[in-house]
Amino acid sequence: MKLETIRTDIRLRHGKLYKQCVGWVLVLPTVLYLLVWTVYPLIYALYASLTNMNMARPLLTKFVGFTNYKLLIQDQFFLTAVGNTLWVTLLSILLELIIGYLMAKLFFQAQGTKGIGILRTIFILPIMITPLITGLLWSYILNPTLGIMNHLLKLFHLPALDWFGSSDIALYSIVAINVWQWAPFMMLLILAGLNSIPSPLEEVAQLEGASWWQRLTNLEIPYISQVVVLGIFIRIMENLKMFDLVYATTNGGPGKATEIVSLLAYRQSFLYYQTGYGAAIAIAILVLSIILVQFLFKLLWRREVV
Amino acid sequence: MKKVFLVLLSFLLVLLTACSGQTGSSNAEDNTLRVIMIADPWVDVMKEFGQKYEKETGIKVEVSAYSYDQTHQKEILLGNQKSSAADVIVLDSPWVGEFAEGGIVEDLTSRIEKTPELNWNDFIPSFRDVAKWKGQTVGVPFAPYYVMLHYRKDLFEKEGFEPPKNYEELIRIADHFTDNPDYPGMYGIAMNNERGAPVGQAYFEHIWHFGKPFKSMEPGSKDPYSNMTPLLSSPESVAVVKMFKDLLKYQPPGALNYAWDERAQAFAQGKVAMIMAWSVRTPGFLDEERSQVGDKFDTAIVPTVKGKEPVPPLGGWLMGINKYSENKERAWEFIKWMNSKEVHKEFVLKGGPPARLSELNDPDLKEKFPWFDTLAESAEKAFADCRPRILESFQIIDTVGNHISEALSGKLSVEQAMKQANDQVRNLMIQGGYKVD
Repeated sequence: MKLETIRTDIRLRHGKLYKQCVGWVLVLPTVLYLLVWTVYPLIYALYASLTNMNMARPLLTKFVGFTNYKLLIQDQFFLTAVGNTLWVTLLSILLELIIGYLMAKLFFQAQGTKGIGILRTIFILPIMITPLITGLLWSYILNPTLGIMNHLLKLFHLPALDWFGSSDIALYSIVAINVWQWAPFMMLLILAGLNSIPSPLEEVAQLEGASWWQRLTNLEIPYISQVVVLGIFIRIMENLKMFDLVYATTNGGPGKATEIVSLLAYRQSFLYYQTGYGAAIAIAILVLSIILVQFLFKLLWRREVV
Repeated sequence: MKKVFLVLLSFLLVLLTACSGQTGSSNAEDNTLRVIMIADPWVDVMKEFGQKYEKETGIKVEVSAYSYDQTHQKEILLGNQKSSAADVIVLDSPWVGEFAEGGIVEDLTSRIEKTPELNWNDFIPSFRDVAKWKGQTVGVPFAPYYVMLHYRKDLFEKEGFEPPKNYEELIRIADHFTDNPDYPGMYGIAMNNERGAPVGQAYFEHIWHFGKPFKSMEPGSKDPYSNMTPLLSSPESVAVVKMFKDLLKYQPPGALNYAWDERAQAFAQGKVAMIMAWSVRTPGFLDEERSQVGDKFDTAIVPTVKGKEPVPPLGGWLMGINKYSENKERAWEFIKWMNSKEVHKEFVLKGGPPARLSELNDPDLKEKFPWFDTLAESAEKAFADCRPRILESFQIIDTVGNHISEALSGKLSVEQAMKQANDQVRNLMIQGGYKVD
């Protein structure tokens, strides 16, 4: 009996170890992948941000401590870039939500009408264009002398605007293009949410004569919020790393009116070869995004769970 | 567990060595010569000459051309990775110091000395100076550009104007053609105003008429980089930017975002009466398909401050050899051929930039390109270091351009913007180890 127990015990223990080994071997590719493509670059970027590394003279790299970060918080271009990035993110998402909701309501009401499917497809086409092309297209449309937008404005006797040339307007032109491209995305998500509302509830709301506000807060929001919150997170992440659109239209100008963080990091790292400073900017962006996303996650997701 | 870690570690090591094992490919045995260059207007002519060379020698010339920033990036990477992926490196004049000190290109001094048939003294002297860096010769100065004033001679004749010799006259003429009922839709001038390199370079094109950007940098100085204390917020420097700002009134809407292309387009479409543009674009204005001003324009040396000699901006491309090329001899043979008097003249006839004194005085060429007299005059008065040629040049120019753009857009006063530019460039110079007071 005794011997028997010991044997089973050994077998069991052996089995556990074996199982763990299998587990390790199975996750090994992922671990390797992460080590090579995520962990190593991150650690290297951290190291680079503490040096004066310059790609044009890599042999002269010296450890400089937190100098890059000190320069960063004094850098007007960086501070403006952070402000602009956050402002573009906030404003774009807000407008995308409002316009997306209104569009979704229209499509929801019009459901069943002939040809509505085609119209919906056309509406979501902008999402499929790469931001670089979007930027180029709009830079033609909004060209102050050759563009069609100012031509149309003139036809209606409205003042023509210098869409990208004026430092008061340029950032809003960027927001407008961004919203034009991504409001349909929100529309899609919200439409899916609206469609998931059970029809008896709809009927009750209608019978009881609920006002549009009551319908919105008590009926629609509970059903659409889950997808919308997901959409908001996707859009936050995309907006924080926005690059192509600005690169193709204003390149950050005039002055620093449309300076954004990824453009700044690109310039330092790949045009000036200030790898150290560029890495410091990248790390700063990373920390900011983590804080922002964590904060919003707590704010928005908790409500969701309730 | 230990075993697992060991396996993991060895995997990682294998992977790392596999990654670092391969740099540059060896092409010694095949018959090609790789040229890396800028996609400027004459790149197609260059490719044509590559084919011609292949016919004559059997050596295939592969030309890869990129945009300005990319060319710089690719060439720097070649040097950093000690790569032999290109043999001939075509580099811009402000990069000379960077490429010489970074060990990216071969010193050609002795090769040039041993090749009398190259006729080195026939190359334009001011651009020959550009090719020199602390005793090294980084490349053959085969494609120099100068900034010239381009003006509409038809309109100037009609109004009885002479090409402006100084900024006062320039502004007066620009004013005359702007908002003039006789010339609907016309503007006086177009300038590079876009933030970054476009307006930063414009600053270095005009500062020499007003003063100097750094303490030891002035036309004719022997050691222009001996004291790099920036003088960007000096009254003279501020005056340059104020002039840029004044000139905005006479430019088409949207001019704040103008760079080289937009400026040239505005002139080619007959929208502006004058531009100051690099001579590399001048042949394009003759092209009837893309320009409406083919026979209506003329050139003159750039205007200056009243009473001062003009310092025409110079730039352009040098042909160097990659220090890590495996075909250095082959590369030199090609450079010699391309830059020989006969071949280079053909190259110029097809739209390439003239590089030899004999070309500027050649009757065939002068007849075809009437602006060669202006070029010759500009070449004589140019200053090799008009744009700094040190490692930090690119960043200096871009930084200055970013701050000027703030002044032009009205967000900051010119004085404030230039003060900020000065502080930033000062830091950069200290970091770079230059002498700063």
